[in-house]
Amino acid sequence: MPALFFPHRYPPLLRVAVLVLLSVFVSVFSEKHPNIESVSLTMAYPVQWISMQETGFWQQADNYLQSRAALESENIRLHAELIRAQPKLLEADILRNENRQLLALLDSIPQPPGKVTVAQVIAQNFSPGSQLLTVNIGARAGVFVGQPVLAAGGVAGQVIRVSPMSSQVALLSDLDSSIPVQPADADTPLLVDGRGDIDRLAIPFQPRNTSLKVGDKLVTSGLGGRYPPGLNVGTISAVIHNGDQPFAQIAVQPAVHLGQLDTVLMLWDRPFPQPAVTP
Amino acid sequence: MIAIALILGFFFALTAEIIPCGPFYALLHPDFVALLLLYWAISSSSELSLTIVWLIGLFQDMVLGDVLGAQAIAGVIMIYLLYTSLGRVRRLSSWEQLFFIFLLLLTHRLLVWLWQAWAGVITWHFSLLLGPLIGALLWPIFTLALDYLRHALRPRPT
Repeated sequence: MPALFFPHRYPPLLRVAVLVLLSVFVSVFSEKHPNIESVSLTMAYPVQWISMQETGFWQQADNYLQSRAALESENIRLHAELIRAQPKLLEADILRNENRQLLALLDSIPQPPGKVTVAQVIAQNFSPGSQLLTVNIGARAGVFVGQPVLAAGGVAGQVIRVSPMSSQVALLSDLDSSIPVQPADADTPLLVDGRGDIDRLAIPFQPRNTSLKVGDKLVTSGLGGRYPPGLNVGTISAVIHNGDQPFAQIAVQPAVHLGQLDTVLMLWDRPFPQPAVTP
Repeated sequence: MIAIALILGFFFALTAEIIPCGPFYALLHPDFVALLLLYWAISSSSELSLTIVWLIGLFQDMVLGDVLGAQAIAGVIMIYLLYTSLGRVRRLSSWEQLFFIFLLLLTHRLLVWLWQAWAGVITWHFSLLLGPLIGALLWPIFTLALDYLRHALRPRPT
């Protein structure tokens, strides 16, 4: 292998040192310029595309190899679920109408309904430091940075990087993630932070005599304007009052199985951004 | 031919790292790119350029979406450490190399972790130890498979 930039006559330790410095430079530079991240996501697209094809191949093979009995039992299960879901759908329709009437009585402007698009997960990267998913739609489909991402059950996370064909989602459990919530039956504003653990979130800075208790459901509060209010986030699974700690340690079980997502819902809560019309 | 096989190999190693197969796979899969780098460094007769190792690591960072430079620098330091005792490692059988590989993969994983922790909170996680261990246990099978592939792809004298 020919030496690319360095002739081999330089001592190896010097080469390592220069490359270390170069890495520091690259990481600091990319933190300062977020555009770099979108460029790097674009450059990574070929690998993600191959990964997507591989996933598709495995799913097809799995479908093909599934036995008739398994398919029949799944069919029965799905049918039962549908029967159970149908009344809820009717109820939702009734509630929506009622809500519109009530809003009209209050002279309040009804919110335009949000738009939801299904996206397929094409890559995942879970390490103790970061819990990211890559999905198969990007800026071309109108995805933007900070967009809420939902999944069956509630909130899954938000978009942090966008490239034309794909975008990257930080899950709620990511170390950098934090989401404003409130208990479903009160309006105490709270935060739920990611701790790098896929099925355990945390509420920071609550006093030891906190009124929160195990089993409380948490929904988004809508503060900050990023997530619409009222979406499921999780359930409090443990409240530990440790004598040594200044704050109570509160663990939250996320409403979504964050580790097993293969499709997610991208939510456009505000009106869908229209491409600028050029005259 | 070997060059194409190598590029394809790194592509597949990268896809194997990001393929969505559930949380256990995502946390415990061995670092295939690091394994491939180690195999390449140990089996190739010429010294591989640290710059190329760095570039491969940088591309891996782009694919994973981590802090840029984390995998890059971990790869360079891992290969450098390997080169400090390459002769000794080469004389060992692949079963005996397993221990060295474990230490190198562990160094790699911890360096990446430290680089990420630089920006965030430091939390210990059992996968930091188990990932390299699984990678090292796979090493003998991995070398066997790649030796076979390399033998099959070797240009034959006509």
